[in-house]
Amino acid sequence: MTDPDHDLESALAGLRPRPPGPAVTAALARELDPPVSRRGVILAWTAGLTTAAAALAAGLFLARPAADEAPAYQLVRAEQSPANIEVLRPVRLDDGSFARPVRVRWDNTTQWEDPRTRTRFINYRPNEQTTLLPLETY
Amino acid sequence: MPDAHADQDWRAWFAEHGARLRLIARQWTRSEADADDVVQEAFVRFWKHQRHLPGDPNALVVTSIRRAALDLLRRTDRRGVREQAVAAETETVAWFEPEADPRLQALAQSLPLLPAEQREVVVLKVWGALTFEQIGEQLQLSPNTAASRWRYAMEALRKLITARAHD
Repeated sequence: MTDPDHDLESALAGLRPRPPGPAVTAALARELDPPVSRRGVILAWTAGLTTAAAALAAGLFLARPAADEAPAYQLVRAEQSPANIEVLRPVRLDDGSFARPVRVRWDNTTQWEDPRTRTRFINYRPNEQTTLLPLETY
Repeated sequence: MPDAHADQDWRAWFAEHGARLRLIARQWTRSEADADDVVQEAFVRFWKHQRHLPGDPNALVVTSIRRAALDLLRRTDRRGVREQAVAAETETVAWFEPEADPRLQALAQSLPLLPAEQREVVVLKVWGALTFEQIGEQLQLSPNTAASRWRYAMEALRKLITARAHD
């Protein structure tokens, strides 16, 4: 092989072939995954079901039979939305005093990802708190 | 049979080598979609039946790709499609990622213009990392014929690049 050929071969090796489409990657992941694998699990937790969903998710992951099949989820994002504050009309309490109800809503979203399978586990938790601000009247 | 690659993460292996395997498959297929199908089928075949075998898995995967590609050609054309005909029907979809370097861009555009018999030798040598002897086994040629096609391909590529530079 001549030197010019070698230079040309090096230049060719510098070209980057286009990768297979995402459908191929997804299909291979399905083929290579063990049958018990549960991938792409996304649980949307509502406020009322938070405790039950947490228990269910823990059960799912603890029930995996083999250590090498277990996903290794790593925390990738934790977000808290800006609070939405509603100041409601004053109300009269039992003792005759007045108070103004204030309702605050926000949500927390935490995402973990298994880098091996690129699947995400998302914990979406909406929150709501209502408090009474006493009003002084003269 | 003991697994010679028990610790191998095959997803990671495919992530690293998938692009060049697809380029190899593209040499023996009519379309980008066919190349994707062939790579997928060939890798699954390898993974199910040959991943335990000792040695470098690369040559086995390339062999699996060629078999899958020829199977697909037979399935899709009962009259028996010659590989020469494949080149004539190739799409004009870019095989490579865009390159800023004009010389590399010219190379990327020139490679598909080579005669199929030269191009497959180039692809198997550069992206298949095969020797002329291994290429000869894949294509049922003598190593000397493979080397000869390589030299013709290099000469043709140089001419094509020079022609593009003068356009």
